[in-house]
Amino acid sequence: MKLLVPLKQVPDSTMRIKVAPDGKSIVTEGITWSISPYDEYAVEMALEQKDADPSTTVSVVTVGPVRAKDALRAALAMGCDDGTFVTSDENAAPLVVARALAKFVEQKQPDLVLCGRQASDDDQGFVGPALATILGWPHVATVTKFAPADGGIEIWREVEGGHEVWKASGPALVTVQKSDKEPRYASLPGIMKAKKKELPELALSSLGVDAAAPKIEVVKMETPPQRGGGKILKAADGDAASVAAELVRLLRDEAKVL
Amino acid sequence: MTPNSEIWARLLLALVFGGAVVAFALQAWRLYRLMRLGRPDAERFGVYAQRLRDELVVYLGQRKLLKRGYVVRGLGHALIFWGFLVITYGTADLLLAGTLGLRMPGVDTAAFMWMVDLFALAVLAAVVVALVRRRFFPPPRMIVQLDGYIILGLIGLLMVTLFLFEAAAVGGKLFAAGAPVPPLASLIAPVFAGPSAPAVFAGSWWLHVLTVSFFLAYLPRSKHLHIVTTLPNVFFRTTRPRGALRKIDDIEQQEHFGASSLRDFTWKQHLDGYTCTECGRCSDNCPATSTGKILDPKMIILKVKEQLLHEGDALLAAGDQRGASPTDETITAEELFDCTTCGACVEQCPVTIEHIDKIVDLRRYLVMERGEFPPQAQTALRNLERSGNPWGQAGPSRADWAAGLDVPTLADNPEAEYLYFVGCAASFDGRNQKVARALVRLLRAAKVSFAILGVEETCNGDPARRIGNEYLWQTQAQATIETFGRYRVRKVIASCPHCFNTFKNEYPQLGGTYEVLHASQLVAELIESGRLRLRSDGALKVAYHDPCYLGRHNGVYDAPRAVVTGTPGAELVEIAPHDHERGFCCGAGGGRMWMEERKGERINSRRMEQVLALEAKPDAVASGCPFCLIMLEEAAGTKGVRERLRPLDVLELAAEHLETEKS
Ligand code: SF4
Ligand code: SF4
Repeated sequence: MKLLVPLKQVPDSTMRIKVAPDGKSIVTEGITWSISPYDEYAVEMALEQKDADPSTTVSVVTVGPVRAKDALRAALAMGCDDGTFVTSDENAAPLVVARALAKFVEQKQPDLVLCGRQASDDDQGFVGPALATILGWPHVATVTKFAPADGGIEIWREVEGGHEVWKASGPALVTVQKSDKEPRYASLPGIMKAKKKELPELALSSLGVDAAAPKIEVVKMETPPQRGGGKILKAADGDAASVAAELVRLLRDEAKVL
Repeated sequence: MTPNSEIWARLLLALVFGGAVVAFALQAWRLYRLMRLGRPDAERFGVYAQRLRDELVVYLGQRKLLKRGYVVRGLGHALIFWGFLVITYGTADLLLAGTLGLRMPGVDTAAFMWMVDLFALAVLAAVVVALVRRRFFPPPRMIVQLDGYIILGLIGLLMVTLFLFEAAAVGGKLFAAGAPVPPLASLIAPVFAGPSAPAVFAGSWWLHVLTVSFFLAYLPRSKHLHIVTTLPNVFFRTTRPRGALRKIDDIEQQEHFGASSLRDFTWKQHLDGYTCTECGRCSDNCPATSTGKILDPKMIILKVKEQLLHEGDALLAAGDQRGASPTDETITAEELFDCTTCGACVEQCPVTIEHIDKIVDLRRYLVMERGEFPPQAQTALRNLERSGNPWGQAGPSRADWAAGLDVPTLADNPEAEYLYFVGCAASFDGRNQKVARALVRLLRAAKVSFAILGVEETCNGDPARRIGNEYLWQTQAQATIETFGRYRVRKVIASCPHCFNTFKNEYPQLGGTYEVLHASQLVAELIESGRLRLRSDGALKVAYHDPCYLGRHNGVYDAPRAVVTGTPGAELVEIAPHDHERGFCCGAGGGRMWMEERKGERINSRRMEQVLALEAKPDAVASGCPFCLIMLEEAAGTKGVRERLRPLDVLELAAEHLETEKS
């Protein structure tokens, strides 16, 4: 089975994000970058299939600036077989990314493409479904498990209070919710091997994709408003009864929840 | 004295004893070859004067057997051992006389005979006590096996036959007139006086040498081999500081990491296995074992040894095969990650076995080669890699604890005398931020010139090294050494014993050598010299909890106590008998801070109970470690005793009593 996982490199979830002075982008200085968490689950899900059947190949690909190569290396260190780097600007439009990936998928011809359900930086959840649409492939969203079955692939997805099992016959694309297992910890031999691996590079133009159109632009970025601190009512200014009375008053008049 | 000096008797004796020697040698040779399956180990050589001294103190002096809490039992062992040495000398004489007709010097003196008889009696008594104890009051976790009975039986038989033939010789007047005779045996000699004396003498003498021969031939398959292997095991003990783990050199060039096979332990680690006496002292003192976890340090040592004995021959035969790692077979990951690396086992082992190295080598294999270890530990390491601290807090908020204190960074003040390395716990954990602030107040009050690294500080890598990711430790440590180098740091203060330990004992392995002080050492000195003036705030009884990485691993017992006793009004209470080198771990070391503790009783709860049981009824329990503080706080919280038994750091105690901060 040939599996392909497109990755996005995003600021690590432990980072504290600041808006840059231009008001449209984030400060990238001092940021540690990682594979977007759902993409990492997708890698893990693919690798579990490889554990079960060693003849499986798992490829990864990313469209992004040079630093995104590290995300490919991280995936290779976890055990993926090969990684391809498609060079683009810092903030390639999602549709451009999907088009580039579609060309790559046509070259690579995987049996299944696993995307994370959304990237943790912009939370758009666009690339996976767009890629399936461009390819004209079936698409199953928020998948938790898959397995090769007679004449196709069985796909589990979580629904409220249970799960559904779908079956796709031909090549298909899934967006991954979370696998049963946490993404694996890369072994040191894996990291060393990944360091030495060649990462073939492709330009958007060589894939026949126009980076310029369609163009969307972020016009403004803001951090959420600071939450005010809680209020503590002290019994020092009165007995328990008056504190309770004050609490009721505040809940009714200020918070308006009563 | 020999019953028969004819040539046939000499030949027979030579045959019997020679056979035993051959049997011993063949088995010893096998053990030696199995041991050499292990890697070479350069750190075992050199500093021979110290090694000889250790040999005298630990082997001959039985020093580690006579530790607190084990004095009576230890004395029993020491008696058997010293007696054994004296009697072995006599046995050598016996065998020489019986074969070649030669004598050992000094054996015919009254003094030697007194020694032999007294020790023989003591050994006999000790054997009886040991037999009774084993049979009727087996200590917990001692594996009572046939082997123990066989050995005790043989030793007993040796003593009985010794007394018998001595008494018969005296009774039968076989000693030259006027020569000294065995004094104690003489007391029972009249029983044997008579015509049968020569026969009794000959019978018991031959039984004695047969027993000696059997003992020798049996020894290599018994845990009592330790009477031989302790000698080299003590001699080749590590000279690394206790708190330092072994470095993996050229880590990027290695193919295997940690103990991926029996071949990856060093020969000395296999010798450790041959030396274990199965006494169980390590396990008795292990916080994991004694609170019902799976880990049992003795079993780690024994399981590796068992595997060596079972699979070693096949490995020797197939020179290129690596074989399985002990964690693939008998030792589970859970066991290995139960360990807090507290060092109680190493401290207590009478034959200087190095448990932590073995445990960490096995962890290294699981973590680096296999990537299979507890998920929470994985998260901690991932956080450390990505955000520079195991909690996954944002790096830029590292200096937030100092808000409003106006603490200079080295960038502001490169001339500062000391670098205060705050550490991740005091930087990010709310409770421990207060300790960092307390230290700043103390340093200010004493006008100490210091600065911090601020947001340039990152984790020094200690948790990674204890959990088993040597590579990550080396990466973090190198980065820290570079940062220190940029500011020409020479003196470092750490309020965290884990930071303190890795800087002091491990950074030199990577070329980073600094003068490192734990904050309590500096503060104790400042109080002593009068640069810090403290006032009394009423009487306060303070129990002191020894952090493992301050106490056992670094021998810093006095300084934090001096901070308590140097605080007017404070009275020091020892958490006896679990104080100083017998301190009981809080449960957070070795990366356990970031892992859940599900099995058995919680270690910090046990520790708190030890404090609560003190008759002195302390008002506070002080420590000198951020992890201990977190664990003590948690235990005090769950037990609902925070009001009457306040957990705190000795630095806070001192800072609260600053004269300049009159309440
Ligand atoms: S270091 Fe401590 S926790 Fe680990 S095995 Fe030894 S005694 Fe037990
Ligand atoms: S390792 Fe040491 S302390 Fe533990 S059982 Fe063996 S000899 Fe005793």
